[in-house]
Amino acid sequence: MSLLRNRTLVPIAASFLFGILPSASAAASDTVVIEAGRIITQAGDDIIDGVIVITDGRISAIGAAADIETPWDAPVMGGPDYTAFPGFVEAHTNRGMDRPNENLDVTPFLNVRDSIDPVNAYFEDCKRWGVTTLNVQQGNNTVVAGNGRIVKPVGVTVEEMTIRPDFGYKISLAPKGGKSRATQRQTLNRTFNDLRDNLTNMVESAKQDEDFARREALGQGRERDADEGEGRAMLGTGWTVDGLEMVKRSSIDEKVLPLLEMVEGRHRTFIYCGAPMDVQPAIDFATMNGLLGTATLVVDDSCWKAADAIKASGMSVILDSNMLHIERDPVTEEETETFVPSVYAEKGIPFALTSANQSTNSLWFQAALCVGYGMDRGAALAAVTTTPADLLGLGEVVGSLEVGHAGNVLLLSGDPLDMTSWVEYTVIDGEKIYDRSKDIRNKHLLYGVEPRGATAIESDASETPSDIEVDGVDKPTDEATEEEVTEEHADGHGDDHGDEKEVEETVKKD
Amino acid sequence: MNTILSLGATALATPMLCVISFASERPPVAPVIWDTEVETVEASAPKPEPVKLVISADAIYTADGDMIKGGTIAIAGTTIAAVTPGGVSSDEDGLHVAAITPGFIDLSPRINLADFSVEESSEVVPYLRATDAVDLYDPRWTRLLRSGTTSVLISPAAEDVVGGMTSVVKTGGDPTLESREVLANATLAGSFGSHASRGNSPVRGRPTNHFARRPTTRMGTEWSHRKAFYDTLAAMSHEDRKFEGWDIMASVLKGERPYIVQASATQDIRTAIYLKEEFSIPNMTVDAAAEAWREPGLLARSGMSVILPPFSAQGRTAIDNGFLSWNCAKTLGDLGVAFALSSHGSASPSGRLAMQAGYAIRGGLSFEDALASVTITPARLAGVDSRVGSIAVGKDADLVLWSGKPFAATSRVVGVVLNGELVTQ
Repeated sequence: MSLLRNRTLVPIAASFLFGILPSASAAASDTVVIEAGRIITQAGDDIIDGVIVITDGRISAIGAAADIETPWDAPVMGGPDYTAFPGFVEAHTNRGMDRPNENLDVTPFLNVRDSIDPVNAYFEDCKRWGVTTLNVQQGNNTVVAGNGRIVKPVGVTVEEMTIRPDFGYKISLAPKGGKSRATQRQTLNRTFNDLRDNLTNMVESAKQDEDFARREALGQGRERDADEGEGRAMLGTGWTVDGLEMVKRSSIDEKVLPLLEMVEGRHRTFIYCGAPMDVQPAIDFATMNGLLGTATLVVDDSCWKAADAIKASGMSVILDSNMLHIERDPVTEEETETFVPSVYAEKGIPFALTSANQSTNSLWFQAALCVGYGMDRGAALAAVTTTPADLLGLGEVVGSLEVGHAGNVLLLSGDPLDMTSWVEYTVIDGEKIYDRSKDIRNKHLLYGVEPRGATAIESDASETPSDIEVDGVDKPTDEATEEEVTEEHADGHGDDHGDEKEVEETVKKD
Repeated sequence: MNTILSLGATALATPMLCVISFASERPPVAPVIWDTEVETVEASAPKPEPVKLVISADAIYTADGDMIKGGTIAIAGTTIAAVTPGGVSSDEDGLHVAAITPGFIDLSPRINLADFSVEESSEVVPYLRATDAVDLYDPRWTRLLRSGTTSVLISPAAEDVVGGMTSVVKTGGDPTLESREVLANATLAGSFGSHASRGNSPVRGRPTNHFARRPTTRMGTEWSHRKAFYDTLAAMSHEDRKFEGWDIMASVLKGERPYIVQASATQDIRTAIYLKEEFSIPNMTVDAAAEAWREPGLLARSGMSVILPPFSAQGRTAIDNGFLSWNCAKTLGDLGVAFALSSHGSASPSGRLAMQAGYAIRGGLSFEDALASVTITPARLAGVDSRVGSIAVGKDADLVLWSGKPFAATSRVVGVVLNGELVTQ
């Protein structure tokens, strides 16, 4: 039993090694040079035969090879056959978490930090498909959710992965399981009304305390203890409670303090709409509580019908991974297909695409579909890079390849929207964190079972996951030739399947 | 952006109205019987129908010879009247698109035949016909059609060992079997793997439902298969051993009718191959054969054809959890195994048959082979290649119009021509 257990853990341990080793080697040199036959910067024109110099994790120079002087001793990646592209930005996801939804209604005191699983296979997929920045938020099955976080798919601890801690809150207008839309909205409105009432009461009570303390000090003929200073006047464009500076912030219940900070505009919010009918209430709610400036709508595929209302509100949207909305006429039963991103593009509403993070609908594919449905190529690519970066307030850091931005670069085998292109290398903050030639799972998916021993020859055992995997399975005899081994492996596929499944299960359990 | 189809779905609510509206909208299409196809063409030859639709394209992929760079297709009646290279005019009255391919043929669309169509009386029911259970008002027909699939093979559910006969039908047109059927009783359908015995249990006492029956294992499924064919051999030589449907089974043994069996896992594909070899079944195809890449040698040796299920992101497919590698199509193509792709009826843009060909290309398959695997190859496997599956004079005018290079992720089906009618645009 323990043997079996160990065997299932070995590939996971291997993926740990994968994550750690490059960072250890990159630490020796703080400058990396990336060469590419074509650089798609997402910030102006493409660069032909260009180089990107990354120093201390940030892009320090980018341009045509002829114009850029590169340090002679810096390691060089890529080459003329590659296309360089900024890492994709996933505007909103709740994958990679233990469980994305809490069963309580209002939980702003929770934090996805405690739920993100760094070795979840999802983050491995992100490296594989070139997603380098992710906004992880709690699921949509909530009223007011826990605190989100922006991460990169690198590292074995959440802290290592973190780009922006404590980032944003999810609020949902669509009914949480067990609720109707009426009770959902009632709960949401009551949450903020209660907050206002509580704060008002606290101010009243503080006023009385203040009055009492003043009179007591007067009666005793002494100076009052100066214990003010912790209080702060309330900001906010929706509503404010006068005199809140009299209340110490530390005396406000930590369970509702984030709500106050939301109203004050200190936090971003992501407001989920599960149907067109949720959109106007969402806008009204955001207006009433002063969230318009900080909120982004997360909309399902049917919400395009409310695009005019969204446009009028000035908010941006994050789209569902299903981009083709099919609607059946209840009378004629005729179906109408609407390609959702085109609607937002035509209305001029900033939108970000999201992926189901599968090979088939990762962000490159979503953008390619948009082009297929007639969208301008630039707009489609922006919706998976610069637009989500801007939505998250990271426009000066990720989403495009410019001097000063994070060194998040994908080296692709061809155009990012081409069906035959693959992410060959993923570089995050100047560190190579993915190399397709060493991606065992991708080989398994693409070619079926990898012939045993094919990768073990060139590198040493501790570095090659396939080698470790081989050790776990019945080991071939030393006499076996490579051909025999291959055949044996093809027959023994049942074993490999077992392993694969067990690994997945282990990951899920973890 | 919005595609609206009027294919008479109203008929479900108001059948009479629908018939009237169809009669007034377009001339009734004469039912074309498969066997008399040649005769029909000859009869109309002296007095050809007028050309009613001309479509030009930057590229015409005929699936029958080389690509034509720039050309026009003229359609008369329901068939292709002429394919002319060059002469792409930019005048505004003609329809012009980036590329044209033949209409797609899906041999495994998994449409409208769910578990309720499982026959309960026996596991070997060759005499049943899928067309008797088909629902032509199912909304999935229009989804298939607007995604470019113009002909499909409808099969009984794979929950019986020998499930009955399939038919090739068009995905659109008047909602009658007569107008849609391309080839009746085209193939016989069978099943290996867990589906044929799924949920079955031996009868204990009084049987109360159809699950109380055999087979209950893969062994039982295989036994039922072999018994059926042995009984057929006996029936072919002994008058008193004949049973209902023996002649249909016999037509499979004689190679007059293809036999399509579902087999996803390696062991089931092997079982199918061994059955083919044991009974020398000339024309046999494994459907949903996800793990065909594990036995390419055996498949090539046996002359078995393959229908692949839709590609999945993590490799696992729905039937028996079979693992489909992304280069499976390429592996089969390199060995000369005839294979077709299928969509299992997916409505999403990423699951449709046109996209499956794109995924096969991503897995290393050549463009030409990918095109064939959704057009002429499935037509051959179902025995309808003289009527559909490629762009040639005299064939049905079933065309897919593209916004760019076919099967690219950045291209889209912008129009579909079915039986000479532009049905979506």
